[in-house]
This record gives sequence, structure tokens and C-alpha cells, in this order.
Amino acid sequence: MEPEKDEEAPKIGVYVCRCGGNISDVVDVERVAKTIAEMEGVAISKVHTFMCSDPGQSMIVEDIKKESLNRVVVASCSPFLHELTFRNAVQRGGLNPYLYDHVNIREQGSWAHKSDPEGATAKAIRLIAAGVEKVKHAEPLERIRLSNHQRALVLGGGAAGMKAALELARRGIPAVIIDKNAELGGHIKEWGKLFPTDEDGQTLAARLRSEVEAEKDIEVIAPAKVTKISGFVGNYDVAFERLGEGGKPGEEAKLTVGAIIVATGFEPYRPAEGEFGYRKTPRVMTMPEFIAWAGSQPNGRLTLDGREVRRVGFLHCVGSRQIEGVHKPQPDGRVNTYCSRVCCSTVLNQAVQVRKRFPSVSVLDFHQDIRSYGRGHEDYYIEASNRGVAFFRYHGDEPPEVATDAEGLVRLRMKDYLTWGEEIEASMDVLVLAVGMTPSPIGDLIDMLKLATGHDRFLQEVHPKLRPVESSVNGVFLAGTAQAPMTLEEALCSAGAAAAKAAALLGSEYVEVDPFVARVDEAKCTGCERCVEECAYSGAIVMVEKETEGGGKVKKAEVNAGLCAGCGACVAVCPTRAIDLRGWSLKEFDSMVDGLVSAAERLAAK
Amino acid sequence: MASDYSPLILVLATSSCAYPGADEVGKAHLEYSPNIHVVRVPSPVLFPTDFYLRCYMRGVDGILIASCGSDCPYTSAYEKLAKRIDALTTLMKEGGLEMERVRLTAICTVCIKAFLKEVGQMEEQLRPLGPVDRAKAEALWEKAIKELEEQAHTKAA
Ligand SMILES: Cc1cc2nc3c(=O)[nH]c(=O)nc-3n(C[C@H](O)[C@H](O)[C@H](O)COP(=O)(O)OP(=O)(O)OC[C@H]3O[C@@H](n4cnc5c(N)ncnc54)[C@H](O)[C@@H]3O)c2cc1C
Repeated sequence: MEPEKDEEAPKIGVYVCRCGGNISDVVDVERVAKTIAEMEGVAISKVHTFMCSDPGQSMIVEDIKKESLNRVVVASCSPFLHELTFRNAVQRGGLNPYLYDHVNIREQGSWAHKSDPEGATAKAIRLIAAGVEKVKHAEPLERIRLSNHQRALVLGGGAAGMKAALELARRGIPAVIIDKNAELGGHIKEWGKLFPTDEDGQTLAARLRSEVEAEKDIEVIAPAKVTKISGFVGNYDVAFERLGEGGKPGEEAKLTVGAIIVATGFEPYRPAEGEFGYRKTPRVMTMPEFIAWAGSQPNGRLTLDGREVRRVGFLHCVGSRQIEGVHKPQPDGRVNTYCSRVCCSTVLNQAVQVRKRFPSVSVLDFHQDIRSYGRGHEDYYIEASNRGVAFFRYHGDEPPEVATDAEGLVRLRMKDYLTWGEEIEASMDVLVLAVGMTPSPIGDLIDMLKLATGHDRFLQEVHPKLRPVESSVNGVFLAGTAQAPMTLEEALCSAGAAAAKAAALLGSEYVEVDPFVARVDEAKCTGCERCVEECAYSGAIVMVEKETEGGGKVKKAEVNAGLCAGCGACVAVCPTRAIDLRGWSLKEFDSMVDGLVSAAERLAAK
Repeated sequence: MASDYSPLILVLATSSCAYPGADEVGKAHLEYSPNIHVVRVPSPVLFPTDFYLRCYMRGVDGILIASCGSDCPYTSAYEKLAKRIDALTTLMKEGGLEMERVRLTAICTVCIKAFLKEVGQMEEQLRPLGPVDRAKAEALWEKAIKELEEQAHTKAA
């Protein structure tokens, strides 16, 4: 049934936020509120220092009741921050949450027009006028209820994936883990003793694996590869292939889940040939290579190529914190500007282990900065210093030069800024490149799920602070290092948060989604089928035979809300304007334009 | 006064790319003309030709369509949009409205520089043209509406 048209005259409450000066230092908010108060249909127009605070929100709730407002507009920050906040406040006031419009006068107002307060003030008036005209045509909408498949798919069974699955299962939500590798656990299996607890990575992975195996609500499918994902929140259809010997494709199968947690992790940065001497000599190795090699050597003396190792150097920030113009770009043309967060503590951890296990080996540390930022990490720095590790500091835009000398040893030259820029040269038996993290190669999954990635190529959350484990796709969550470089502790934290979010979603038999889908006004529909032809989503609009009052039959377009993506392609081709997007109707856009232009004219006339 | 004239510009910005992209510009505290107004839309593919013409008729001087380009979250919407804008520009040319008044581009969620460049260029191009000829826009709009009415009685091709 169509929502009934709200016939009462609009009584709109408009609230202009100062944002503690962020807006009001530039925009004359008092003048804005006063000008808007004169608009037809505006019952009240107020200013508040922080609309998003409890008092700000309560003001809306109370005004709706006291002044019997039937529409609300808040002019504040970007809708991505607080549109939902104010919709909820409007609902608490007893109004339908969609009888609300959000106007952005901060990101697209005060912050973008700082040096033009007059212009920014006039623009705020025009934008709010547009919002006021738009909200007059807003209609009460109901969120769409769809059945929910109450289980989750976890992509990737590293530490983060296993943790997420365990958290879900313990809340009674079945989880399926799909991993491309036969053995779950991910990278921590490779690192030996982990900072900051010195627990062995293999042991920890094995413990998580046995917990997963013991959990009846977790199914593990590995090795396997996802081949297709379709559907939407509550109803994702996933096709996958079990992999046979040597990754050969095997049996195909399908499953349906309500939510997906992406925990595909990272890959260590692979230096290019010749990058700091890499692959020019076996004496330059990456951190993972060094950990594997040193871990396989007995305590006491360390030899390489039949020669005793006397000196080991660690070079920080390889593949991280790169600078455009200084470092060679990656194959996609970008440099890795980000910090990989685990390399500093890994170097300190390994330096301490070398000094403990091979006391005759001296250790050199070449860094730009030492970021031993986590709880307990600094202890490794102190211990490394106490055990005689020698530290040298280079500047990011003057990376050390690495060559081999006549004896075949590695020689490193750099300017040391702990001694005010002195040129130093050190020769060593082994140079370890502390490589950073890059995202796992999951281009296929990114395409299938339409996930967003950041400039660093890692998966991107909706909002780094407010919605840190949600992807921009409804029902798809992010866990662990698929999102950004993290220590194990951080990866497990994010996995727990993603599982909690997914569990909250999967706890109910229904999912509710935004009502912004197409709808058909049957009275206007002539059955021309242009919309069906234009629609790219099969089944989203279909022609249905209807009885007319006279007893005859006519065909009318009908929208399947669960399949409609809400793009609006159908709207533009309907010759009778029988189709519209709920919440984004052409009428609303037309009135926005009218509001904006009329305000501009009024302002110009003044 | 010609020197004081600042064209009224609408940016139809996609909710998933260009609108957050415009937010980033503000977050970086970079500036552009306050006569540039960003309107959030799911996808500009929803606008029929007459919507744009009506904007001009009401006095909007220029419209920048800031889409997601190849990052568009909706299947084939970008291609359809491009076709629509093609048709619109043809119509505008026939009706005597300057082509500079409409432009289709793609702005990503972090495309700060691209956003500033696009809106800056549009403003520069529009300034010498002066205000939009609303009468010509109205004539075109009426024509578009008439065409719609004719279509209403025929089946899809
Ligand atoms: C050299 C080094 C040393 C480190 N030492 C420490 C330390 O001492 N302490 C610490 O706290 N942290 C350390 N870290 C960080 C630690 O490795 C990570 O925090 C941790 O591995 C993150 O777990 P994850 O599950 O997010 O990712 P991963 O460990 O990468 O696991 C990802 C899983 O996803 C699977 N997968 C990938 N792609 C797909 C796909 N397309 N389909 C299905 N499955 C897929 C993989 O097979 C893997 O099982 C270190 C990192 C490095 C590089």
C-alpha cells in the first residue's frame, strides 16, 4: 500500500548548528536562522551550539511535540555523519524519520568558504531554503523488511577470520569460513615468537584452530575459492569452488548467508629486484625470509654460506612511508605512503632474539623513526638498547644506499641524524629488510562485492571513527588486516567488533533496509514497459496483469523492493512520471532547485 | 555589472563518490566559490532531460554532473547517464543554449584536486557567457514535455 499523502500544511522546524564555532566562526548562523524563519511553512528556526549533543537532539524531540511540527530540517555537518542521528531524533519525537532533511553547511559550507563569510552565509541560506522546499514534499516511508538468512560467511581464516567466526558461533550465529589455503591461521604461523607476549605464532594459530574445530556452529571450507556473490543484506548467494591438489578447481557448490565478514588479511611487501640490494645477493633478505631462516638455525653460532655471521643489520620502512619522487612507484603508479605499524616492533623483537640466541652477533638498526607504540612494545626497545643494539637514524627523503663489497658482504651508506648528519658506512653479513604490509590480492572479491578501497589499496570502512568495521555495502563487514596494517591484537579487536556488528544484524529474522527504492503510481502507469527495458536488475521491475474497475485487464509495472538497487534509471524514462524513487522523487529535486533559486533571487534583491 | 557576475552552479553529486569527494575538499579546508552548490543524488541517471532544462529555466547557470564514472555502484547506470547527457547537449545546441552549461565528469571519494579543477573550470567558462537565457530554456523545456506526452501513448520500442 502506498503511504497516505500528508495533507496537513507543513510546520517545519529548522535547526542551524554552530558546531562549536566550526560553522559559526564563518557563517553568520543567527542571520541564517532569521532569514529562513521568514519562509512559508517554517514554524520555528533556531540556532544551537551542538545539534548532535543530547540537549540539541532533545530540543528537536520537544519542539515536535510542543509545536506540533510535522517536518524537520537540520543544517550542520555532512549527512554521512549525522543524518541518521537526527532521523532517530525525529522518530523519538513521534514523527516518521523520513520527514527530515539534512543540509550540509560545514564540509560544503564554512570549511570550504573560510575566507568568504558573506558568501558562505548566503550559500547556507540558499542550501537550507532548498532543504525546506524539499522536505515539504517528503513522504513518510517505512523501512523495507526482508527475510534474513541468519548465518555469516567469513572470507579468510587467518587469526582475524577465526576470531570473528568464534565470536559469532558463541552468540548462536552459525558461521562458514572459506579460506584459499588448506590450513587456517594466516601469517602468524610464520613469525615464531610474537610481540608483545612472546607467545609462539604456530601455537596460537593451533589453539584458535582447535577452538574452531570444536565449535559445531562453524563450518570450514578450505581450500576453496569464491567464484560469485550476488544478492543483498540478509540474502547473499555465494558460489564457491573447492580446490583440489595444487589449487586445481574441484567441486562447485553454493550457500546463502545474511552477512559477510571480509578477513582476507595482508601480504608482506615484496621488494623489487635491486631494491636495497634485494635479490642481488642472498645476504639481503626480507623479514619473513629472515625469521624463517634464523628460526631454523640452532642457538649459538650463526652461519650463512659457510661463513660465520658477525653482524646483522635491520632496515626499517621497506615498502612503507614511501615518498613520491624519492621512492620508485609501485606497479599501479602509487607509492606506499602509509606506515605498516608492525615492522618497528618486529625489528626490535627480532633484534632482541638475535642478541639472546646468537650472543656473538652484533645488531645494527637503521630507522627513520621507531614507532613502538603499542602496550608492551616499548619494553622491546629498552631491552634491545640494553643488549647493545646500535641505532642509526636516516631521513625519509635520503634512504640508505646498499651495495655489496669485494668480500661479498653487504655495505650500507647513509647520513645518520642521531649524530647530526654524519655520513656513515657499515658492512654486515646479513641485511634484513623490515618489509611492510600490502593488502591480499583480492581484486575479484572487491569487484563481486563492490567494496571500496582507500588510496593505500586496503579495504575502506564507511567512517574511520563512527563506523570503523562496516564496509559501504550493507551487510558486509571488515575484520583484521584486510582493512589496514594492524598488529595481531588490533586485528583481533576489529574481528570482535565486526562479529558483534554482524551478530546484531543476524540476530533477527528480518533485516530492514533503507526504503529508497522505486515505486509505481498505478493510476499513472500506462504499461508502456520502458522502465522494465531500462532496468539493469533482473526481476526488480516486472509487468503484472491487473483487473480494471470495469472488469478488463491491464498491465502495470510493479517493483520488487528486495531486488531494486535504487539507482533511478527507470525514473528518467517514464513518460507519465508514474515511477519515482522513494525519498528522492523528481518533485523533491524540482522543489530543491526552486528553493535554492528563489533564495538566491531574494538575497540579490536585498 | 559583468565583473560582479558569479554564475549559479549546481553539482549533481553521487552519494557514493562525488558527494563524499566534495566533503573531502572541505575537510582539507580548500576553497571554491560559494556559488557552487552540491546536491546529493543516488545516481544522476534518474534525471530526465526536462529536469535539466527546468533548472536553466529557473535560472541555474550551469550544471556539473559529478558521477562515479567507472566506480559506479549501479549496473550500467554510467553508460545510460552518458547517453542522456549526450542527448541533452544535442538538444541544447539546437535550442541555442551554450554547451558549456552542462558537463559530465567523474569525481571519486578522495578526488579533491579533480573536484576543485572541475568546479573552477566550469565557473571560468560560464563567467563570460553571463546569465542563462531563461526564455530559450523554457522553450526547450516545453518541447521536452510535449515529447513526453506523445511517448505516453506508445509502447517501448
Ligand atoms: C614480518 C611480520 C611479523 C609480525 N609479527 C607480529 C608480532 O610479533 N605480533 C603481532 O601482534 N603482529 C605481528 N605481525 C602482524 C600479524 O601478522 C597480523 O596482525 C595478523 O597476521 C593479521 O591476521 P589476519 O587474519 O588479519 O590476516 P592474515 O594473517 O593475512 O590471514 C588472512 C587469511 O585470509 C586468507 N585469504 C587471503 N585471501 C583470500 C581469498 N581471496 N579467499 C579466501 N581466503 C583468503 C589467507 O589464506 C589467510 O588464511 C607481523 C607481521 C609481519 C609482516
